[in-house]
Amino acid sequence: MDLWQVPLLFSRLPMFPFFDLAHYVASVVALKEQRGAVEVSVRSPFACWFSAMLYCFGGSLLSSLMLAEPPVSFLAKSANILLASSVWYLVFYCPQDIFCRCFSFLPLRLLVAGMKEVTRTWKIASGVAHADSHFKDAWLVMVAVGWARGAGGGLISNFEQLVRGVWKPETNELLKMSYPVKITLIGAVLFTLQHSQYLPIARHNLVFLYTIFLVIFKVKMMLTRCATSPLAPLEAALGHVLFGLRKAPSKVKGESATSSNRSSICDRPSEQHHDGVKKRQAKKTE
Amino acid sequence: MELSDALPLGELAAAFASLPVFPLFDTAYFIVSVLYLKYEPGAVEMSRKSPFASWLCAMLHCFGSYILAALLLGEAPLGYFSNNSSVILATAVWYLIFFCPMNLFYKCVSFLPVKLVFVAMKEVVRVRKIAAGVHHAHHLYHHGWFVMMATGWVKGSGVALMSNFEQLLRGVWKPETNEILHMSFPTKASLYGTVLFTLQQTHWLPISEANLIFFFTMFMIVCKVFMTATHSHASPFAPLENLVCPVLFGSVSSGHPGHHHDHHGASHEVSHPPPPPPPPAKSKEELNEGTRKRKAKKAE
Repeated sequence: MDLWQVPLLFSRLPMFPFFDLAHYVASVVALKEQRGAVEVSVRSPFACWFSAMLYCFGGSLLSSLMLAEPPVSFLAKSANILLASSVWYLVFYCPQDIFCRCFSFLPLRLLVAGMKEVTRTWKIASGVAHADSHFKDAWLVMVAVGWARGAGGGLISNFEQLVRGVWKPETNELLKMSYPVKITLIGAVLFTLQHSQYLPIARHNLVFLYTIFLVIFKVKMMLTRCATSPLAPLEAALGHVLFGLRKAPSKVKGESATSSNRSSICDRPSEQHHDGVKKRQAKKTE
Repeated sequence: MELSDALPLGELAAAFASLPVFPLFDTAYFIVSVLYLKYEPGAVEMSRKSPFASWLCAMLHCFGSYILAALLLGEAPLGYFSNNSSVILATAVWYLIFFCPMNLFYKCVSFLPVKLVFVAMKEVVRVRKIAAGVHHAHHLYHHGWFVMMATGWVKGSGVALMSNFEQLLRGVWKPETNEILHMSFPTKASLYGTVLFTLQQTHWLPISEANLIFFFTMFMIVCKVFMTATHSHASPFAPLENLVCPVLFGSVSSGHPGHHHDHHGASHEVSHPPPPPPPPAKSKEELNEGTRKRKAKKAE
C-alpha cells in the first residue's frame, strides 16, 4: 500500500460504529459537565435523554430544518439512536459512576476526542455534498449546511439548554463563537471551496489534512489545558483590518472587544473545559 | 379592464410591474434594511464585537421575507440564499454601512433626499414581493385564501414579523411584545395589501394585477416618504380604524372594570382614548428616530 493511498482509504472509513460511538461518548460527557445536568437527570430522565440526543444529533436536526427535510429523520436511524441512548444511560446512571471514571483516564479521553474530530470532518463533507444535491452552486447554502452538520450540537445550544430549563438569551453561539463552532465554520468554507473547484485539492486529501489539523490542535489543547485557539493571532489581525476589532490586553476575562474565542472559552464550560469542571462534577455525583 | 386599458395608464402599469427588481431596487431595499438594523440599539457595538452575528442579522433583515415564506410553505428556508449575487450584494451593503472608513457610505445614504429615494424604491420591492408571495401560494393552494394572505403578508413584512427571534440573535429577548401585538405601519400595510392582492388573485376584485401593483405601490411610496420625511408615527390608517374598529370590536372604556383590554385586531393602539400616547414598543420606527441622532453622533 502506497503512502499516497492513505488519505483515500481514510476518507472511506465507515463512521459507524466506532467513530460514532466516540462522538456520542464525548458529547454526552460534555453534557454531563454542564451545570445542572446531573440534577436534570435525576428529576426528569426523559429531558436528560432528549438533551443528550440534541447534543449527539443536533447537527442532523439543524441541517434538515435548513433544507426543509423532516426534522425527525435523525430518529429513523434506529441503530444510532440505540447506541447513543446506551451511552447516555451508562454515562448518567452507571452504578458507582464506573463509566465516567474509566473515561477520565487521559489517553482514553484523547483517543475519543480525536475520533470525534474525525466524525466532525466527515459530517462537514457530507453536509456540503448534500446541500449541493439540493441547490446547485449555492455557496452560502453549502457552507451553512456543512457548518450545521458539523457543529450542530453547539449551534442549537440555546434551545438545548431550554430543554433543561435554562434560558440565557443574552448570549448565543453566533454572538460569541466557541472554538469548535468556529473551526467547523472554517472547515465548511474550505470544503465548499473544494466542492466548487476553487480550491485545487482532491476531496480525500482535504478530509485527511483537515482531520489531522483538528486532531492535533484538539489534543494539544487538551494536553496543555490552554484554551486559546490556534487561530487567535490570525483572527485578531484580520479582525483589526477588516472590522476594526481592537486587541484588548488579556487582563480580565470579561466582555472585551477582542477576538471572541478567548473570552468565550474562559467564560462558558465548553467541551474543552473538561478538566476543571469534571472533578467538581465527579465529586458531586458521588 | 377596458377603461384602464384604453388609457395609457394600463401600459404604464404593465411596464412598471415588469421592471426588473435586481439589482437597483434590491440594492435600495438592502440599504434601507441594513440602515434600520444600524439604528437598533446595540447594533453598532455588536458589529464591533461580533461581525459574524452582525452580518447574520443583516441577512435576516434583507432576506427575512423569503425565509418566512419558505417556512410557511414547507420549502427550504435557505432556498433564496442560493442566489449568490443577491447574497454578495447584501453582504457588500452591510460591510459598507457598518465598516466604511469614516462612515462615508452611511452618511451618504442617510442624507435625507437620498434616503427618501431609497425608501421609495424599497416600497416598490415590498409590493412586488407581496404580489409574488400571493401568486406563489396560489400555485400551491388554488383555493387557499388564507394561505395566500399569510404568504403575502410575511413577504411584505419581512423581518418585522420575526423581530423577536432577530433580537434573540442579538442577545435581546423581549417576549412581552411582538410585531403582531403592536403592529408597525409597514406590517399593517402589508396585511391590508395582501388582502387586496388575494382578492384580486381570486377574481373578487375586478382589477388587473399590474394596475393593483401600480396603485398600491404609489400609495405605499407616498405614505412612507411622507412619514420618513416628517419623522411622524401617525399611521394613515388611523382615521379609518378609529371609525371601524369600535363598531366591529367594541371600544376600550378605561374606567370599566370588567372589560377585556386586549382586543384582537390590528388596531390595538388606536382604541385607546385620546390623546394616544405612543405605544410602548413601537419597534423600529420609533427606535429609529430616537436613536438615529445618537447613533449618527456615535458612529462618527
